[in-house]
Amino acid sequence: MTERSKGSGVFAGRQFNRRDFLKMSGAGLAGAALLGSTACGGGSGGSGDLIFSMGTDTSGTLQPLIDKFNKQSKDFKVQYREMPTDSGAYFDKLRTQFQAGGGDIDVMGADVIWPAQFAANGWILDVTDKFPKSDQSQFLPGPIQSLMYDGKIYGVPWFTDAGLLYYRADLLEKSGYSDPPKTWDELQQMAVKVAKDQKIPNGFVFQGDQYEGGVCNGLEYIWTNGGDVLDPSDASKVVIDSPEAAAGLAVEQGIVEDGVAPQAVATYTETETDPAFLGNKSVFARNWPYMYALAGTKDFPDVKPEQIGVAPLPVTEGNGLVSCLGGWNMLINAQTDMPDEAWEFVAWMTSEQGQRQRALAASLLPTRPALYQDKEIRDTLPVIVQGEEALKNARARPVSPYYSDMSLEMQEQFNGVVKGDTSPEDAVSSLQDSLQQIIEAGQ
Amino acid sequence: MTSSDRENVSSVRSAEKKRRGGWFREEFGNPERRLAYYMILPSLVIILLIAFFPIMYSVVLSFTDSTVTAFGSFVGIENYVEMFQNPDFLVGLLNTVIFTVGSVTLEFVIGLGIALAINRAFRGRGLVRAAVLVPWAFPTVISAVMWRLMCQDQIGIIDVVANKLGIISEPILSDNTLLLISCILIDTWKTTPFMALLLLAGLQTIPGEVYEAARVDGANVMQRFFRITLPLLKGTILVAVLFRTLDAYRVYDLFWVFSGQQLDSLSTFVFTGVRISQLLFAQGNAASVFVFVTSFLIALIFIKVFGMQTSTEE
Repeated sequence: MTERSKGSGVFAGRQFNRRDFLKMSGAGLAGAALLGSTACGGGSGGSGDLIFSMGTDTSGTLQPLIDKFNKQSKDFKVQYREMPTDSGAYFDKLRTQFQAGGGDIDVMGADVIWPAQFAANGWILDVTDKFPKSDQSQFLPGPIQSLMYDGKIYGVPWFTDAGLLYYRADLLEKSGYSDPPKTWDELQQMAVKVAKDQKIPNGFVFQGDQYEGGVCNGLEYIWTNGGDVLDPSDASKVVIDSPEAAAGLAVEQGIVEDGVAPQAVATYTETETDPAFLGNKSVFARNWPYMYALAGTKDFPDVKPEQIGVAPLPVTEGNGLVSCLGGWNMLINAQTDMPDEAWEFVAWMTSEQGQRQRALAASLLPTRPALYQDKEIRDTLPVIVQGEEALKNARARPVSPYYSDMSLEMQEQFNGVVKGDTSPEDAVSSLQDSLQQIIEAGQ
Repeated sequence: MTSSDRENVSSVRSAEKKRRGGWFREEFGNPERRLAYYMILPSLVIILLIAFFPIMYSVVLSFTDSTVTAFGSFVGIENYVEMFQNPDFLVGLLNTVIFTVGSVTLEFVIGLGIALAINRAFRGRGLVRAAVLVPWAFPTVISAVMWRLMCQDQIGIIDVVANKLGIISEPILSDNTLLLISCILIDTWKTTPFMALLLLAGLQTIPGEVYEAARVDGANVMQRFFRITLPLLKGTILVAVLFRTLDAYRVYDLFWVFSGQQLDSLSTFVFTGVRISQLLFAQGNAASVFVFVTSFLIALIFIKVFGMQTSTEE
């Protein structure tokens, strides 16, 4: 009895409160509308500066480059706005700003997987007029491909990245090999033999974790076996359910199953790959170009740069060289008040001179093949000399406005393959369905 | 109409008014109270704006086919139906429930043991109490990274030792069952001190005379524990367990960081849907509403079924 009366008392009290709340929420909404109209004015702030965003620049060379631009620019200045280092968090931040009406960023450094997702929403500027085919041909084809959406181009490639095969040249030589492997079969044989001869715990390590890097690795196995995800001539058609793609994933699975790579590669990202290869624990590794510069540093003193070699990824007999494209492009906000100034800045940063400075100062790989012949760059970045073929043959991940969703599906299936939970055939046929569904849901 | 009539009518009216607007008049008739309302009005408005409005907006979104970029049209409960057909959601739900039940049970049992042990007066009690709290003081993300490193193959001590002893044959971090078990154990390690501290506070409110009287009457240890300690501790236990249950039910950071984003929970499903995917936005919203409503139900069960008291008023 007391229980019940107490209950109803509480209820009655709530009812009053709720009515009260409703009344006030009306006022609150009006207030919000007022706040909104003053706070989100949009445009490029009041300073008249061009705002350029990019993830944290650990090399400390970006600001000096911008200062240099500002020194020679008379009409406007560029202001650098630091963004999260994690590319997912950066993407999230940009997306939130665009959703809220554009934000005040005029030019942004953007991951190669973003352009289609931004372009499909009309958030970034179509620069086809300013960046004609003749100019595009001075850049590597992979990064250009990442910027194409619906036959138009939405930015300029800034610096590039590609999956490379790292090998221990010293160990290979001791076991009687003079050249790195050209095919996956050779890699497996060599890895097993060298690991056994030289008492190294692992033959090969790569990134098999359920994340974006796992997608890059999985795609490389598919591509180096002649498979693909989307039809190159019709991006709305999924073609991953092919014997070639399944064979590619079978190679990836076999490498783990046969013990060439440890089972734990299913949890490896780049962070685990560095200590495994540079800690003298693996003969081969698949990683991005950055790892080369880490060899012999304070964190990884065990393996010196002269002990390692870099080569394009192996392929399966009869297929051309290919690896997964990484890197960053420069895009322009579609809402910017200063499109011409923005273009001037983009053109300056991506020019031969701009890229050259960035390559020398921060070891970032140029997107202009002409620079690969530059003597100073070749001397400073030895990885360019050895990895040149791989960098020139890098292929973009599927270009789609719904790439985030495709990536989630591929991450799951590819990781299942590495773990041995999913057969390569099941993985490609389930991806065929889910990717096709994503494309259709987006139309 | 005579003046007395008029008076009569007006007094009847005012009585009616008082009856109808009694609460209103009582609250706002008094200038002091009125002022109090005016003074809390800004905070009420802010709470409405930042708490009530977003929640309601999520509920509305969950009934539409909205995307990240556009407000969609009304689709009824379609998002909820699709959500319950989505294997990722079901796995997340199952993991969350197992995690919540497992970790809260362990935390409660061990926490109660610790609380009973440090409730006795002994030399260095303050030091022990402080030491017990150390794991709880770590930010969850830090402890998740720390445990992940310890479970890493080849370099992680736990993985190496467990493999040497033959307890497990595969890397901990690549097996979802092992990941879930590890998460339960890590959470137990981390939040048992919190549980112990809350229970200890409750234990200290039980007067010593009760035990003395029981001892005089010949009650043994077990009887004293089950007949005195537990019933008198019930209120504290309910509060502590509810806190932990709701906290565990929302688990996100531990799963996300420790498992390297491999282990799904309800909250990671929401995050993936709303922030990563472009197509699962509506489902992610439906899932967040689901989490909100079910948390509310859990709290309600504690209050109504177990008779938890929400205030000290009798």
